[in-house]
Amino acid sequence: MFDKVLIANRGEIALRIQRACKEIGIATVAVHSTADADAMHVRLADESVCIGPPPAAESYLNIPRLLAACEITGADAIHPGYGFLSENARFAEILEEHGITFIGPTSEHIRLMGDKIEAKATARRLGIPVVPGSEGAIANEAQARKIAREMGFPVLVKAAAGGGGRGMKVARTADDLDIAIKTARAEAKAAFGDDSVYLEKFLEKPRHIEVQVFGDGKGNAVHLGERDCSLQRRHQKVMEEAPSPALNAEARKAIGATVAKAMQKLGYRGAGTVEFLYEDGAFAFIEMNTRLQVEHPVTEMITGLDLVIEQIRVASGAPLSVTQEDVTISGHAIECRINAENPRSFMPSPGKITYWHPPGGLGVRVDSGAYQGYRIPPFYDSLIGKLIVHGKNRTECLMRLKRCLSEFVIEGIETTIPLFSDLVQQPDIANGLYDIHWLEKFLQKP
Amino acid sequence: MAKDVKGKGSVDQTLIRELAELLEETGLSEIEIEREGLRVRVARQLAMHAAPVAAAAPAAAAAQPAQAAKGQAPDPAKHPGMVPSPMVGTAYLAPEPGAAPFVEVGTRVAQGQTIMIIEAMKTMNHIPAPKAGTVTAILVGNGQPVEFGEPLAIIE
Repeated sequence: MFDKVLIANRGEIALRIQRACKEIGIATVAVHSTADADAMHVRLADESVCIGPPPAAESYLNIPRLLAACEITGADAIHPGYGFLSENARFAEILEEHGITFIGPTSEHIRLMGDKIEAKATARRLGIPVVPGSEGAIANEAQARKIAREMGFPVLVKAAAGGGGRGMKVARTADDLDIAIKTARAEAKAAFGDDSVYLEKFLEKPRHIEVQVFGDGKGNAVHLGERDCSLQRRHQKVMEEAPSPALNAEARKAIGATVAKAMQKLGYRGAGTVEFLYEDGAFAFIEMNTRLQVEHPVTEMITGLDLVIEQIRVASGAPLSVTQEDVTISGHAIECRINAENPRSFMPSPGKITYWHPPGGLGVRVDSGAYQGYRIPPFYDSLIGKLIVHGKNRTECLMRLKRCLSEFVIEGIETTIPLFSDLVQQPDIANGLYDIHWLEKFLQKP
Repeated sequence: MAKDVKGKGSVDQTLIRELAELLEETGLSEIEIEREGLRVRVARQLAMHAAPVAAAAPAAAAAQPAQAAKGQAPDPAKHPGMVPSPMVGTAYLAPEPGAAPFVEVGTRVAQGQTIMIIEAMKTMNHIPAPKAGTVTAILVGNGQPVEFGEPLAIIE
């Protein structure tokens, strides 16, 4: 087991990692930019090292500075959290070369799933159902038109180096296709440095359902159930729940088993999430994230497992703490991502939190590094915390969520709490009847 | 932030108080001493540093906030001539062990002159004086880990 873990992240996830390390007796090092010197996890960590000025490129993304921080503190492992360097295969490789453990999968698997075309081919090879589409990058417009005609419109042009909802353009008819491809290529080149694109059938009203997996790197893997993350705005998840109201026990067991078997075949190590679009009873693989996800708490609430502790254990060479038979899903959980933004315009609202009262009680969890007097820096994303509630069933969960939202007080900045209060009143949400376009349609209503 | 104190050995509070008083009286920002396997660094700064732990002995690092009631020397971090560290690494005051240090208190330096080295991952980085002047304080010890922005020296 590691003696000292360096937390290469910030905000709520850094605090999450700090908590897990402390519970299993591991010393922590919090690296931070000058803007985060007063962050809660920095205050709580055993040691802290300021690694640079606010821009991420000079701090949280700066590999030499992170390595230097490991060197001067003697950290023997790094937890990369999510975002930043968590899916940077080169970073994982560099750490491997320096004898520092990267708490996550191997650089090989990060690379495999990082290229979305490779990932899809791998998924297909491992028996995971995929969205129909071109079997690789499109070579030219003529080939694209042929494939699109065979699949049927509408189609989606996607950047191979994209992911997380970025670098995608819809083409509804053959006339749109050329423009869509050109625009997608240009954007992909600018954003990811790689203009390879591929085609997929565009699903009109799918749900986004993802399965949490865990592997020990030695051929054992389990699934921990699914999460429904269909409520999205501009491809960013806003609210998530587990289990999905759209699946019955049979469908859940089937997709879980398919994914677990695939991960066993792959020899995957650590936490991972396999993401699907689900429509008309069929699952279609879109991508795999080789890291912990923001919404991991809803899975923790229904399984009772601490996924960060599990990540650390597996990274240190221990076997998985559960077999598939040990995993039980109990009750229902919902998470609201609370951003420092105006709840209607979504304009960012950095500033000082003058009053902070989070809700509490049975089945209530707030994952946040914020506190009264905390000044939210303007340099990073606007997520300031996650409100997660658990109930015996979905109805109780929703009642509890309503109560929590009315109790949560954050003053001094604007937050998206009013949006969630609105959402839980909607009949479609109460009935679990929504797809990935639902939220944007709702937000467009006057 | 709490520091893990390994082992049970008693922490010599008298010693630490003496050192803290010495700091205030002399206006120094930091004193580090080592004796009988115990290394103690008392610093008058708001930031806490990870002090290297000597093998079987507890190592205690105490940080004294700079609000000295006696109106002593101001916080060196705020001095206009303060030279901050541009990187994370280990500070070395001389070009190699045993050699004379690059500068000492009182040394006159030209702009760009090396005042110390910060080493990270086996690469030595020369830290230049940002302007010409006289070194009036060296704020880090030889072999001390430093973070980005940490005050290294004062040049007036």
